[in-house]
Amino acid sequence: MTVSEKNQAPAAIAVRNLDFYYGANHALKNISIDFPHGQVTGMIGPSGCGKSTLLRVLNRMYDLYPGQRATGEVIFDGCNILGPKVNLNVLRSRVGMVFQKPTPFPMSIYDNIAFGVRLHERLDRSAMDARVEDVLRRVALWPEVRDRLHDSAAALSGGQQQRLCIARTIATRPEVVLLDEPTSALDPVSTARIEELLDELKADFTIAIVTHNLQQAARCADQVAFFYMGEVVEVDSADRMFTAPREKRTQDYITGRFG
Amino acid sequence: MDRSATSPSALTGAVRGNGDAVFATIVRCSAVLILLGLGGMVAVMAWGARGAFGRFGLGFLFDKAWNPVTQHFGAAAPMFGTLVTSLLAIAMAVPLAFGIAVWLTEIASSRIAGVIGTLIQLLAAVPSIIFGMWGFAVLVPFMAHYVEPMAAHTLGRLPVVGTLFRGAPYGTGFLTGGMILAVMITPFISAVMRDVFLSMPAVLKESAYGLGMTRWEVVRRIILPWSRTSVVGGIMLGLGRALGETMAITFVIGNANHIGWSLFSPGNTIASLIALEFPESAVGSLKFSSLMAVGFLLMLISLGTLVCSRLLLRSKAAGR
Repeated sequence: MTVSEKNQAPAAIAVRNLDFYYGANHALKNISIDFPHGQVTGMIGPSGCGKSTLLRVLNRMYDLYPGQRATGEVIFDGCNILGPKVNLNVLRSRVGMVFQKPTPFPMSIYDNIAFGVRLHERLDRSAMDARVEDVLRRVALWPEVRDRLHDSAAALSGGQQQRLCIARTIATRPEVVLLDEPTSALDPVSTARIEELLDELKADFTIAIVTHNLQQAARCADQVAFFYMGEVVEVDSADRMFTAPREKRTQDYITGRFG
Repeated sequence: MDRSATSPSALTGAVRGNGDAVFATIVRCSAVLILLGLGGMVAVMAWGARGAFGRFGLGFLFDKAWNPVTQHFGAAAPMFGTLVTSLLAIAMAVPLAFGIAVWLTEIASSRIAGVIGTLIQLLAAVPSIIFGMWGFAVLVPFMAHYVEPMAAHTLGRLPVVGTLFRGAPYGTGFLTGGMILAVMITPFISAVMRDVFLSMPAVLKESAYGLGMTRWEVVRRIILPWSRTSVVGGIMLGLGRALGETMAITFVIGNANHIGWSLFSPGNTIASLIALEFPESAVGSLKFSSLMAVGFLLMLISLGTLVCSRLLLRSKAAGR
């Protein structure tokens, strides 16, 4: 499949003319970008360039904080999710998020997964067991935890906790998964596992990943977006972005001249 | 360069002056003073109480008589009153404080939360005698004319629970005392709860919201389990204060050494009993000793509560 064919995949999320403000601070400036369905979009750029901010717009996480606001359009499933009538609980169950640091809930491994599922679906005991096993297998955690599903999740290692958080996120069967530097707190082995995992997951989910690790973006992403000072400088296939960037600023960044 | 033992840069040379040693001694003495003070207080109370315990034995704890005429004293009634009013106060203050803390940390905008948070701290700084005056002048008549008759006509007719809400509406009594204490300890408990909720990592809350949880689900399922021990510790701290509170409750408790099911009936607490009767008891008399004895008991109850709260708060800090 060539690059041009791949990018004809329909957009799962389409961002149009998005501006975002933290109070008076204009953090995203007139952003437009598509997240193609079933692909991994990598977002790179120096710290404070707006990558994470964009993720937090895509599931309206910024809504928790007064003084943060967004204007423009973010189209998901035919609906502008910035609109006032959007049911945020449903939106967030369909656009899941994984954070930089693992955030297991203070409960058992099993309940960490089952809890999110119970919010949106009614499953009987065996169906829930099956769901938990299925997602734990997908994140390759099942062999490690099958005998201690009812132990506290806090006892797991950092890498295991992060895979549990990914399992928890995909257990509610979202259409889009947002990952905010999911491996920056992990060792290389755990990182490699999570990168493999992303490759498998994109068959079912559209993925947006923020990363400071350019190699990671090159390895995992189909499409890469380079952010700088609140703007999207360039969006292109990963191959082209890292071999023949069109913009001078992109080239400077990926060759390590700044950032 | 020569670094012999006499040179200022020699590693084994003497320390400049002896300021360190003097300073260490002074601060050590201050610390020991606390230990001596607390130990001395317990010892003096126990020594003062020896007359009462010698005369009545352990039965002092369970005897509800308090009769200076017959020289017959027991701690049961004021202990009962102390525990009942404090537990009532906790029952009323905890839900209120929880609501305040959740609202301040999760819902209110930061500017309003700052203002209300400061006001709550100011409420905690109001001297307890003011609460006592307000209770006597405002709350007692209000309770006697409206709340207690109404409660007696509604709740008082229920089986079992109704027992608590029967009796003459004096206005003074366990319920009113509990309410005054609740108003006094709510700021404390909500301040502790707010600090605990604020210390929760934001990403943990965000991940909960990120799964599509509603605000109530996040509070109920994530914030509360995460902060449970600290919240209980804060409640114990409030309980400790309620147990020892004197001035606010003396005016509204009714000062009757009485044990009964009705929350409307006047009672007494250890602190108000001492406040009222201590100045008029002769040093060395049996009454004096009995008051020392109930004081000793109050101290044990308060210290026990405080130790429990410390243990709970510490176990959470260590567990993190």
